[in-house]
Amino acid sequence: MNTGLAEVVATLSHLPGVLAAMIVGAADGLIIETSPLKGGTLGGSDTRKHTAALAAYLYSKVTRASDAARLGTPAFMRLEAEQGQICIVGARDVVLVTIVTPDANLGRVRLDMMQAARGTS
Amino acid sequence: MTDPTVAEGWVAAPLRRLMEDARFISGVLLYPTGKAVGQFGFTNAGDVMSVCALTSAINASARELGRQLDGKPFYEMHHAGAERQVFMARCTSGGQEFLFVGVFDRESSLGVVEIYFEEFQKALIKLRPDAPVAGIGPSGDFEGELNRSLDKLFGPLGR
Repeated sequence: MNTGLAEVVATLSHLPGVLAAMIVGAADGLIIETSPLKGGTLGGSDTRKHTAALAAYLYSKVTRASDAARLGTPAFMRLEAEQGQICIVGARDVVLVTIVTPDANLGRVRLDMMQAARGTS
Repeated sequence: MTDPTVAEGWVAAPLRRLMEDARFISGVLLYPTGKAVGQFGFTNAGDVMSVCALTSAINASARELGRQLDGKPFYEMHHAGAERQVFMARCTSGGQEFLFVGVFDRESSLGVVEIYFEEFQKALIKLRPDAPVAGIGPSGDFEGELNRSLDKLFGPLGR
């Protein structure tokens, strides 16, 4: 296990409202390091693998859109859904992904994810 | 993207969904004997014939290699090229084993391919007809089986 990456995941996963934190390969969408999913599995199955793959895919598409609009690399992505949110930050070859509750302190999550991304890249 | 052509109708819908969701450029579903069940992205029967023969041989080799190294056969293989990547995996439905081989590029990723292949496998299990499909088992006539399955996909003049 990479201790540095494990620490990043552990730090992010202990933030209030964070259900899971993952470091995912930007190119392949595979999980490199992950925290357990708090509160058990949503809907009866572990959704982390699916979330990781699709979040990395989404981030790559958003990066292309951002480039097309000449805005540069996306700094922070937040997907708001009915029962929670997914936050994504890119860090060169990896993306940081968190699954958070609707009432989480997003400012803190954003700040810590971006700091972690700077430390990871 | 062209619709899949299939030798067995029940695989058409899951194969189309896999192609669209995982953003495969091309792919072939086949029996381990090398007999093609369905394909997309190919216009030439000869190419599918080569893919089937190679996939069947690679599966046999990888299965034995897996047994020797890990005590059990490998289920999945992935080769990342500079531009395109090859994903090869096996799945079962109703006790029958299938092989799938597909090619994707940067429009997709291994993670995305893996999750949609899982869904494809579940669809095959759900949709598999109760009555066995005739002629699946090895007859000893590898070339004949391969040609007959290609005739179903491309027509007798496809080669």
